[in-house]
Amino acid sequence: MAEQVIPTKKMPPGLQVENVDDRIMTLNVGPQHPGSGHMRIIVKIDGDYIVDADPDPGYVHRGEEKMAESRNYITNIPHLERPVIHDSCNILYPYILGVEDLVGIEVPERAKYVRVIAAELNRCIYIQYWLAIYGIFLGHSTMFMWPTGDRELLIDLMEKITGARVTHAYFIPGGVRNDVPANFEDVCLRQVNYFEKRIKEYADIFYDNPILKARTEDTGVLSREDAIRLGTTGSVLRASGVDYDLRIKEPYDVYDELDVHTNVLKEGDSYARSKIPWLDMLESCNIIRQALEKMPKSGSIRKKLKPNPKGRNDEVYHRVESGRGSAGCHIISREKPEPYRLKLSVSSFRNLIALPYLLKGEKLGNMPAVYWSLNYWPVEADR
Amino acid sequence: MSVIAPKFRLGYFLKGIFDNAFWILTLVTLAGIPTIQIALFLIPLPVINGQLLTAYLAFTWLFNPTMQIPLIKALLYSDLFRIAAFPGFGFAALIAAGTIFVERKMLAKLQLRVGPFYCGKIEGILQLVADGLKLISKEIIIPAKADKPLFWAAPVLFVGTAAAFVALIPVAPGGWVVADLDVGLLAVFAVIGFFPIITILSAWSANSKFPFIGGIRALHQMVSFEIPLILSLLGVVILTGTLNLSEIVESQSSFPWIIFMPIGAIVFFITVLAELERIPFDLPEAESEIVAGWLTEFSGMIYGLVQLGSYLKLYAFAALFVIIFLGGWTGPVFWPPLDVELITEGIPIPNYVGDPILTVTTPGLPLLDKDPNEWVMQQQGELVYTSGQLLVSGVIWFVLKTVGVIFFILLPRGVFPRIRLDMLLHIGWYKLIGLSFVNIFIALGLVYAGVIGPGGIL
Amino acid sequence: MSTSETTPPPKEIPPPKAAPPEKTKPPVPAFEKSYVDQITNQFSDDVEVEYIKENRTRVNVKKEKIAEVAKFIKDNTPFDHAESVTGVDFPEDKEIGVIYHLGSYTDPTYSKQVLALATRVPREENPNPGNDSTKLQSLRDMFYSVEFHEREIFEMLGVYFEGHPDNRRLLLPEDWADLPPLRKDFKNRGR
Repeated sequence: MAEQVIPTKKMPPGLQVENVDDRIMTLNVGPQHPGSGHMRIIVKIDGDYIVDADPDPGYVHRGEEKMAESRNYITNIPHLERPVIHDSCNILYPYILGVEDLVGIEVPERAKYVRVIAAELNRCIYIQYWLAIYGIFLGHSTMFMWPTGDRELLIDLMEKITGARVTHAYFIPGGVRNDVPANFEDVCLRQVNYFEKRIKEYADIFYDNPILKARTEDTGVLSREDAIRLGTTGSVLRASGVDYDLRIKEPYDVYDELDVHTNVLKEGDSYARSKIPWLDMLESCNIIRQALEKMPKSGSIRKKLKPNPKGRNDEVYHRVESGRGSAGCHIISREKPEPYRLKLSVSSFRNLIALPYLLKGEKLGNMPAVYWSLNYWPVEADR
Repeated sequence: MSVIAPKFRLGYFLKGIFDNAFWILTLVTLAGIPTIQIALFLIPLPVINGQLLTAYLAFTWLFNPTMQIPLIKALLYSDLFRIAAFPGFGFAALIAAGTIFVERKMLAKLQLRVGPFYCGKIEGILQLVADGLKLISKEIIIPAKADKPLFWAAPVLFVGTAAAFVALIPVAPGGWVVADLDVGLLAVFAVIGFFPIITILSAWSANSKFPFIGGIRALHQMVSFEIPLILSLLGVVILTGTLNLSEIVESQSSFPWIIFMPIGAIVFFITVLAELERIPFDLPEAESEIVAGWLTEFSGMIYGLVQLGSYLKLYAFAALFVIIFLGGWTGPVFWPPLDVELITEGIPIPNYVGDPILTVTTPGLPLLDKDPNEWVMQQQGELVYTSGQLLVSGVIWFVLKTVGVIFFILLPRGVFPRIRLDMLLHIGWYKLIGLSFVNIFIALGLVYAGVIGPGGIL
Repeated sequence: MSTSETTPPPKEIPPPKAAPPEKTKPPVPAFEKSYVDQITNQFSDDVEVEYIKENRTRVNVKKEKIAEVAKFIKDNTPFDHAESVTGVDFPEDKEIGVIYHLGSYTDPTYSKQVLALATRVPREENPNPGNDSTKLQSLRDMFYSVEFHEREIFEMLGVYFEGHPDNRRLLLPEDWADLPPLRKDFKNRGR
């Protein structure tokens, strides 16, 4: 009935799946496995080759969407950032944009710039964490320690702005929760400059490392056509040569006033997929510097909101570019303080579909490299 | 009121003490003392000053100041001391413990951390002791369907094999080695050959998938890297014409072999990394792929034994590299022993009223020289042991070089990611074997050109 | 069984929802209207335009025609992937809505556009996921990326997708024996 849309990946010669069931070994990679995250990948291997991979997420499913239906638009804010606490501003961003659309409220100019700065800082914080895990998945323990250490810089900065280290709950409909501290521009500029200097050093130890290159280049290659057809997003998509960054393609808030560049690589292999987020961090530093320069020095930070805002009878779908890719929020609203239905269309869930496709025919040793290069965050996929 | 021991009763407490005392006394009397007697009957006792050292005599001499040094010396030169303490297990375990500490601190500095910091107040120096106590006190969990005898035997065998490897390593001039074999290098190859078998046995006996994959990987890795390992050392054997490790060291008294055989040294170093499962080649323990590889099902002190064995192995391989390529204990002597003439003839002191000839009885360190006239006897070729100064100097050089090599073995852990199995096998079978043959041809060329070797110009 | 009676009425019920945006935003964006017209011209009586807003459009389709419309969109418009699939429970209408959000990577002029392809399937009071009338054609053959989204909707709302290769549970545990949790009659404890 269902014809095979995706062409079957080219298997190594001599690898046959049929009639050799006694050769196939099933491995449960996860949920308690140092190389799986909060999920399970049921991997079938023949010797060193993976013949089948079946991702099984859901171990950290919290029913965020169901919870959102019984809470009002303001009390939804802190728990909707829980799926990715390291990227909490970006995962909250589409929801806030959607609520602002539904409630009909304008955001002050200064708040928009603060939002962009906070979102870009959060993107860097997330990517540092992701990169740390990518390093340790490949057995590179220095690459685990360096990003986790340098990430503290930006976490301290976010703590100065928002008062919380990871779960900021900073964006609210109508602006941001509180103003940035005094002399924030200087501190932010200094820390971002130092941070940029540090992350450029990662190239020496990690990205230019010959063993890393030999290991991850030409593994898990996702062609441009397949990246589009599988509906992947974010770094996975841009590593396969599709120039699609929502900050440029569909600028929200003040991204259209800033000079944003995107990073596209053509290879589509694990190496390219792992390099794109790192390049994104460098780009984020540029964006933060521009935003600090253009930000109005004073002004309102937040539009006054009615205590219990009601939505209108409508539906909205807003997207932003998060640290992993497009994060969308589909809100169906009735004239009530709670959303009727809220759907988080998150990039991890969208990129997960590429995992079984990429793992088929790979060697077992490539599994961590391919899996984590999908810029995948299991908690976000489960919501 | 007391909640610490709510049901405390003095009678039960005293009963417990008396019970323990009774059982300890009974066991010591019935089992302990006879065991000691039997052991003393079997152990060959040394002869000191013409008297057989019996147990009673040993206790007596222990409090006799004039006999203490001969007593300790007799202990130092006994086989048991060699196996358990100095060139053997204890020395190697001490270096292994130091290696673990250095590895942690160095890796921490490399990664902008502090590493072990609190345990032991000074830079976490007692962290290893704490970890060891933790491992000892942990429960040993064995999988339900494991092959229990093999599962228990594997860690013990692993440590045993590593200790056997250590026993072949000479650390100082004058035969300071547990087993001084004429075919020492061959014995090393034989002992190394046991490790893949132990690994695959333990992996198989755990009856679990991840250990099994890890064991298979370890087997692939060790078997395919043993060939370049053996071949890379053959160049030195060709040049020296001996397989005895002590003689190989003595052949490097003027220059180390690494000058002529850098290719062999590099190949050997890479194969050592692979045999030790250190980081670019730690596929059998690849954490993110196969949990902990063949160590997955080990817990408690079983795991501790395997770790101990692997660090002993690390020391032994580093020492082998030092012996074969870096000249072992050869190096400048810090504090040379006195001249032979001082003992045999003495130095005449002019214008002295008394005996004008100054003589000494001992040229070196009295405790470490086996015989007071050892230096003389060694000069005359009557003694195999060497004087205390040469021993101390040799050990210091040996340890310095070994620690240097260990440092280079540890360093890749902070720099490289793990490689893949197919890349590893490709390196082993194509590149390293080819390079080690190149090394052998260089050695043969040097011999046939008459540069080194028997009758060479160097 | 009740498919034939229940499907036509819901198409009349949406208007109260669709009315407010129409009156508040008089100018209809031309570009968005052009590609929506392409679909409405082809399937005149099976589709109904819910709204055409800037960058966002929504088309309601009858549930029998969903695969056909999706195939037409895939072949004749630049929309090449599905971003998300939302399932909504409408207990008052006795229906469950399924909304596919389609986007385009290949055509830069369409990169802002999101076309919502919505349909509704009958809702059972006592659901038996997979074996009742809550069924829909799978769009996996047209838009491969809906595979996991449709699995999620099957477990969360009980909509069985015909033609989907594995309608297994994705996020919920294998032994989940309660109602599909995103239905409105599944109550959060304490709320």
